[in-house]
Amino acid sequence: MHSIYPSQASRREFLRRAGAYSALGAAGPMALNLAALGTAAAQSGGDYKALVCIFMYGGNDAYNMVLATDTPSWTNYLAVRQQGSDAIALAAPGTAVNAAAAAGSPTRLGGVLGLSPLNAQGRGFALHPVMVGARDLFAAGRLAVLPNIGPLVRPLSKADYRNSSIARPPKLFSHNDQQSTWQTGAVEGATVGWGGRMGDLLASNNGSALFTSISTSGNAVWLAGREVMQYQVSSQGAIRVGGSGNSLFGSTVVQDKLRGLMRTARSNDLLARDHAAVAARSMDAEVLLSGALPAAGTAPFGTPGLVSGAADPLLQYDNPLTGAKATNGLAQQLQVVARMIASRQTLGVKRQVFFVSLGGFDTHDGQNRQQADLMARLSHAMSYFDTATQGLGVGSQVTTFTASDFGRTFTSNGDGTDHGWGSHHFVMGGAVKGRDLYGAFPVYGLSDGKGDFSSPQQIGNGAMLPQTSIDQLGATLGQWFGLSAGQALELFPNLVNFDASRRSLGFF
Amino acid sequence: MAAIHTYSRSGAGRLAALLASLLLAACGGGGGGGGGAPSDGGSTTPPPVTSPGGTEPKPTRDQAFRFLTQATFGPTEAEIQSVMTLGYGPWLDQQFAKPTVSHRALWDAADARIRAADPTPGAGQREVLDGFYAQALSGEDQLRQRTVFALSQVFVISMQGSEVGDNARGVAGYLDMLGANAFGNYRTLLEQVARHPMMGIYLSHLRNQKENPATGRVPDENFAREVMQLFSIGLVKLNADGTARKDAAGKALETYAGEDISGLAKVFTGWSWYGPDTSDARFWGSSKSQDADRQWQPMQAYAQFHSASEKRFLGQTVAAQTGAAASLKTALDALAGHPNVAPFIARQLIQRLVTSNPSPAYVQRAAAAFGAGGDMRALLRAVLLDDEARKSETAADPAFGKLREPVLRLTALLRAFGAKSDSGSYLIGATDDPGTQLGQTPLRAPSVFNFYRPGFVPPNSLMAAQGLAAPEMQITHETSIVGYANYLRSAVDRGFGQSGLDGKATRRDVQPDYTQALTLAPQPSALVDEVSQRMLGPQANAAFKRELQTAVESVAVPALKADGSNKAQVDTALRNRVLVAVLLSAVSPEFVVQK
Repeated sequence: MHSIYPSQASRREFLRRAGAYSALGAAGPMALNLAALGTAAAQSGGDYKALVCIFMYGGNDAYNMVLATDTPSWTNYLAVRQQGSDAIALAAPGTAVNAAAAAGSPTRLGGVLGLSPLNAQGRGFALHPVMVGARDLFAAGRLAVLPNIGPLVRPLSKADYRNSSIARPPKLFSHNDQQSTWQTGAVEGATVGWGGRMGDLLASNNGSALFTSISTSGNAVWLAGREVMQYQVSSQGAIRVGGSGNSLFGSTVVQDKLRGLMRTARSNDLLARDHAAVAARSMDAEVLLSGALPAAGTAPFGTPGLVSGAADPLLQYDNPLTGAKATNGLAQQLQVVARMIASRQTLGVKRQVFFVSLGGFDTHDGQNRQQADLMARLSHAMSYFDTATQGLGVGSQVTTFTASDFGRTFTSNGDGTDHGWGSHHFVMGGAVKGRDLYGAFPVYGLSDGKGDFSSPQQIGNGAMLPQTSIDQLGATLGQWFGLSAGQALELFPNLVNFDASRRSLGFF
Repeated sequence: MAAIHTYSRSGAGRLAALLASLLLAACGGGGGGGGGAPSDGGSTTPPPVTSPGGTEPKPTRDQAFRFLTQATFGPTEAEIQSVMTLGYGPWLDQQFAKPTVSHRALWDAADARIRAADPTPGAGQREVLDGFYAQALSGEDQLRQRTVFALSQVFVISMQGSEVGDNARGVAGYLDMLGANAFGNYRTLLEQVARHPMMGIYLSHLRNQKENPATGRVPDENFAREVMQLFSIGLVKLNADGTARKDAAGKALETYAGEDISGLAKVFTGWSWYGPDTSDARFWGSSKSQDADRQWQPMQAYAQFHSASEKRFLGQTVAAQTGAAASLKTALDALAGHPNVAPFIARQLIQRLVTSNPSPAYVQRAAAAFGAGGDMRALLRAVLLDDEARKSETAADPAFGKLREPVLRLTALLRAFGAKSDSGSYLIGATDDPGTQLGQTPLRAPSVFNFYRPGFVPPNSLMAAQGLAAPEMQITHETSIVGYANYLRSAVDRGFGQSGLDGKATRRDVQPDYTQALTLAPQPSALVDEVSQRMLGPQANAAFKRELQTAVESVAVPALKADGSNKAQVDTALRNRVLVAVLLSAVSPEFVVQK
């Protein structure tokens, strides 16, 4: 792939970049201090916006998250999915809960939760039975559905799809590559994501570039811009190297040397310098954040006055498999997002992109139980976060959307589903024109017995052929965030292939 | 996370003795009955790809240190001496012939001890990790165990998630299976991976049923997809040197399409639990039909659930009515015989052991050694003895090497200081949490895509500016770096892992031996030399040592009073100096990066 012996020209380029990088990565943030940031923030007024991506790792089965309940759709849904001893067809709206049935089974969960969209497209819709919170958000006009969305190079009919000479995204159905494609428009190995690029273009007024682009769940390329770098924060906030106190093993010098050795490479080794740069960012951010972040036990994102070590009831969801309350890790991630948003003025930030995630969606088997638990977590976390942002007074300044590797097959393999393409997703927030669907909901067809489906929007094994592209979603979010039409075209190079009237999905 | 058991202590050191008694006893057991026995030990040895020894000079101490960083869980004084005496090639030959300890036998012994005290809990995931660390830290067959760890990151199963985690004995068996094939043949390895029940659970082809045209049910495609993408041929066609083959427009040529996956998925129907019959009840795993060894014995075929239709994949056609075993043979022969396999597997082995961005020529040489026959032993020899791995000029290139993953930093530190387990069980346990631990635990990757991807490029980095991959950077971020440092800050002082088998011992189970360093603690420069030499070897540069010495000297050691009344304070200060030297070395970029 790459030679380790770069040409002389690329060596020069490398040295140039290396100099720029070390100035930015190590020395830059050290020059900042909290007081200066606060001053910058005070001048910035109320112009604040944040985008939050909830990524569902593994490929969510959207067929069982947003359901089509009109008779033709439901009939075909049952025909395809109602089979075997652990069938993955959920129960029809209004079906009573059978408390005697096995945990996580459709009859134990009860009927899917009906929706009443403003424009029903002549269809009927519902959510997974455990998604009470999301159902209520939809009814309250704070949540919208984006049907059948996925990566596309250009609009693609089924006839186009059969013609292999017509462009489509590479490496479809592959987890790692489609995770990358959702986040960057390119397969694994891409290093610049559209969240980070929005940071590049719109966050130049942020007091500290450190806090433009934030992940609570490891590295996510969506957050990486050309200049903007991701900052990873734990659910508990920033952690201090060496623990509390200024002395280590009986010496303050040791504490200083520990930090100094970690943040400085004493060679030209690339990995050593890259690693040291992350360490330096970690330490610089911790200094700023530890003074700025409100405590977790602060309303509206936390419950004040809890006994030390006690679980915060706000972060607990109803586990549909046990019937008991359990801590929701996704809500914990969103709590630290809310805490960072609460400290936006202290940190002097006006535009932020956040990435949180939940794993376990690759439900090839045991889907009923696994997905029920995940849908319960997702719904609870979204509801929690919407309440928290409204409580912070930024309910209309924060927009949250879901993403995932891909959708899944309509067909069942007995107790699960396989990799697909298009998928249904959510967009949430006070600025969102909720209680509606943006994009045509696909027809749910039947198998022809040879792998194809009768629907014009379903291909092999009933995977959805996307009718809305990620580029359209990104452009719509981006223009709300502040991108010009020209910048949107720059960030989403395939957007130009879509009709100008459809480049914005219109949910703001 | 599944429960991690503690259990009552039953005599320190017993397990250490047991470990020794198990030598050879269970050899090959993990491989099970799935085809020919793995060829280890006394079988014929192919000639080395280069000619070490002979007229070539023996490795220097620094060279031996570097070699052992790649080939083992960390250099020890004994192994350094061994490599310097024998030379690289003969050292490898010795390693190829070493007897091995069965992970499953270790797990069974732990299970028996636990049940003797209390029949209900039994051993679990923790005991798999105990076995892993026992062998990584004290095993003689370092190259085999190190290769097993590398292979566990290519042929990934994970105890995260209860499906595999609740079958811990099977995971121990999986490690044995990888070990039995580590110096064997790729085709056999691939088959034993494909038929291992833990892989069957993890990628859901265990209990996978044939299609049902009447209802539209289709076979589960999970394993069919990933065995191609991750375990054999990858997504794009490769040249012999591992670079992608492209069409006239510069677009990489994909190796397979959706129809290949659907066709191959039919091959992986009708496989389920091992046992004396092939009843439906056994296929489903009914509680009345569970063989005692089903967690590790290769899956068997159940004809009634195997697809009888024609199966087309990768240009192969398996005729209708072909049985499960014959279909599997055609499929695995096609995969193992694909020209992608050699560069695909060779490149990943190089990345796990030596460097993240091998030159195409290096990949090609290693792939040639692997050959059409899939010779794992020849591959390892080629990977470790190649000029690109061995020459110090190559190592000096700023882009050469790899980020040492957290688990390997831990083992290297512990081996450098001859760490011992009080219980004999090496109770280090899971270290998943990036904020307080290592952010990595063996056999607990988040998905079949491992902890990190071979092609991961860290955004906004110097590596990215050069277009270079750095897989281990995928689990490196602002939180994990602090978590690692703080985990070690506590552990270098108090020890590693839980306090005894019952959690009630007076100190943590795994304790480094600082005896030699303590004797040098009164002289900071000597202490710095000793610790940095043990941990960093040739990476211990002068600038680093100056910083370290300043830190060590800052820990004041009071003069010992004539009456000895302040001896405790003096000892504490001397020990603190050692801890400073060890901790600061362990968090330094010099240690974190493997050159």
